[in-house]
Amino acid sequence: MTTDILSSNFFALFDVPVSYDVDLDLVQQRYRDLQKAVHPDKFVNASDQEKRISMQQTSRINEAFNALRQPVDRAIYLLSLKGVDLNLENETTMDAVFLMGQMEMREALSEIHSADDPLAELDDFSRQIKDKMKSMMDGFSQALESDRLDDAREWVRKMQFMQKAKKEVDELSAKIEDELY
Amino acid sequence: MALLQISEPGQTTAPHQHRLAVGIDLGTTNSLVATVRSAQAQTLPDENGHHLLPSVVRYGEEVIEVGDAAVEHAVKDPSNTIVSVKRLMGRAAADLKSLGESSPYEFSTGDSSVAKIKTRSGDVSAVEVSAEILKTLKNRAIATLGDDLVGAVITVPAYFDDAQRQATKDAARLADLNVLRLLNEPTAAAVAYGLDTGQEGVIAIYDLGGGTFDISILRLKQGVFEVLATGGDSALGGDDFDHVIAEWMLQQAAYKKTPSPSLVRLLMREARSAKEQLASDNEVNIKVEAEDFKWQGVLSLSQMRDLIEPLIKKTIMACRRSLRDADVSAEDVLEVVMVGGSTRTLAVREMVGEFFQREPLVSIDPDKVVAVGAALQADVLAGNKPGDEMLLLDVIPLSLGIETMGGLSEKIIYRNTPIPVAKAQDFTTYKDGQTAMAVHVVQGERELVDDCRSLARFDLRGFPPSVAGAARIRVTYQVDADGLLTVSAREENSGVEASVDVKPSYGLTDSEIETMLRDSMDHASDDMHSRMLREQQVEAERVVEALDAALKKDGDELLSEEEKGNISEARELLVNAKASDDSENIKAAIKKLENACADYVARRMNSNIRNAMQGHSVEEYAGKDQE
Repeated sequence: MTTDILSSNFFALFDVPVSYDVDLDLVQQRYRDLQKAVHPDKFVNASDQEKRISMQQTSRINEAFNALRQPVDRAIYLLSLKGVDLNLENETTMDAVFLMGQMEMREALSEIHSADDPLAELDDFSRQIKDKMKSMMDGFSQALESDRLDDAREWVRKMQFMQKAKKEVDELSAKIEDELY
Repeated sequence: MALLQISEPGQTTAPHQHRLAVGIDLGTTNSLVATVRSAQAQTLPDENGHHLLPSVVRYGEEVIEVGDAAVEHAVKDPSNTIVSVKRLMGRAAADLKSLGESSPYEFSTGDSSVAKIKTRSGDVSAVEVSAEILKTLKNRAIATLGDDLVGAVITVPAYFDDAQRQATKDAARLADLNVLRLLNEPTAAAVAYGLDTGQEGVIAIYDLGGGTFDISILRLKQGVFEVLATGGDSALGGDDFDHVIAEWMLQQAAYKKTPSPSLVRLLMREARSAKEQLASDNEVNIKVEAEDFKWQGVLSLSQMRDLIEPLIKKTIMACRRSLRDADVSAEDVLEVVMVGGSTRTLAVREMVGEFFQREPLVSIDPDKVVAVGAALQADVLAGNKPGDEMLLLDVIPLSLGIETMGGLSEKIIYRNTPIPVAKAQDFTTYKDGQTAMAVHVVQGERELVDDCRSLARFDLRGFPPSVAGAARIRVTYQVDADGLLTVSAREENSGVEASVDVKPSYGLTDSEIETMLRDSMDHASDDMHSRMLREQQVEAERVVEALDAALKKDGDELLSEEEKGNISEARELLVNAKASDDSENIKAAIKKLENACADYVARRMNSNIRNAMQGHSVEEYAGKDQE
């Protein structure tokens, strides 16, 4: 019989409108309801077949949940629904001003060790990244709504850059903390 | 275990019948077993009234001793007495060497890749030693509660990687214990305090045992416990408190010589009892007379605090670090749960309270709190609380990756992803004419494979040669609800496949477990045949009952007349087979009925999801919240 629900798209699975500006509270709520119906803990005493199906269903729901709640993953998934694959190597050249900004940031990060209060500066970086991320999400959302897919794709690439920068800032913070304590 | 029980999620076919399940805290120093009786979770004592079972196993001349009996002999027979075996779980020989010279055991690697400890009863693995502890606890439960044990929830540290979790599960299998679920220790502690039904927010679990310290930062949101960060010190615990107090005594007595090992042991014991007394008194009189050591004096609460403060500060530092890793501040923490015997020390409670700016939760015995939480979860999983909405969703503690060119780890499943989860990623060949690919599975957050933990290696062989980059190899990682991983690889153009349950590097292979099981059966005086027959009969009964209940509910809706006929035929076959005394015959009939029901089960599972998503309305949620 059908496995239509599991093979349907993530938004349909969670019964929310296909949109970047998804209601995350609602997604959480639906996630919880779905888990209550399918989670392996509800099938501890069931047959092997039920256990297997329960695991497949739960895995799929978790995959969907992750894709929906993470801003970058959600963007990539929405593009994939439109047939845009981000993994393709034929990248268009990126916005030069943006790349410039990235390079400047890397440079600043590499010199942060000699700052008076490196941790405070790193906190500042984190805040900046957060703000930029926010505006990129808006940019992506608008580009997608008006079907400017190349623009949308560029926004995702930028978000990925920011995500990576955030990770570097976090790692650097941890390293400096280790040295301080 | 081929169960065919088609039941509503969270409901058993015989709700009136209490199904016995236990929670087991398999600890480094001590282990406990607990169960829910008359709606109360309680730990079970042995025949001497002791709840704590020291996690010590001695391979004696004739018998294997576990717990207090083994502890008594530990001093005389150290090389055959295994302590702290939990530290060795899921570790390969190479890992054990890195533990340093502190280990008193002799290791042998033998044919298997699993490290084994040499004892007079032959080489034993950490899994086998742990199985002895589990067997003792299982027997304790059976002796107290009767012999129909459905299964156990066993707790593991949140930071346990895949190999360590697998080893724990193998130990349970070897002890003939059905694992309902592996549960993270900090989650169990939070459940014991009922925090899973409380306010949503960040919870800190401070676990200070005899020799280890763990701090876990969890976030509870919508019934999901997420492990945000874990930290600690695997070589810091209450024993270190005893040590500094003992040193203080030597100092006070102006004892200049190097104390003998027996004097050190005595002083440690005195220090420990003084420390324990200071949990309720302001000062304690100490009098020690042994060998050439003679001293009498008073230790006050504040003096002790001064002595141990540097050690507690170390734990606070680890808390600070974990909060930062979790990206939360101390004020964000809603509750602090105290776990482990060493949290009875007042100075620990005070300093932890100061740091988190709130009174830590201490009302449940800190030695028992993990076992109690595990028992509560076991009770739910066994199906004793059909109406219970509790569902603990776990996340994977460490990212899972694959080695790519240049010794880099490409992460396939990120840490803190809810489990179970499956994720596939495509790879390709890098040389012309390549017909095989090595898959190396690693776990950890670091970029370099060498800095991560190697979980398994396997080869995908025999796909047709092509130019570099043309082959499409899809690698799929599947993590189950216990956090255990299966990896498969498939060359998409040719359909060549290979897969592996991740355990051969450090765990035991299935055949090794079978051999061990058979060996242990040979020693048992049980009549295996009658036991297996009884098991199959019970199984058959359960299968038929479950099927009848399901058919009554939605058989007409989901099945055609022809399908119903087939199922009914297979059902009849099983009912007849049950009356025979051939367990193989019953087993085959169960299998047959299972096959006949396969489509039916799949349909039920699908309609399950549909039902969960049907008729959503705001009112419905509001109503649920009020319940």
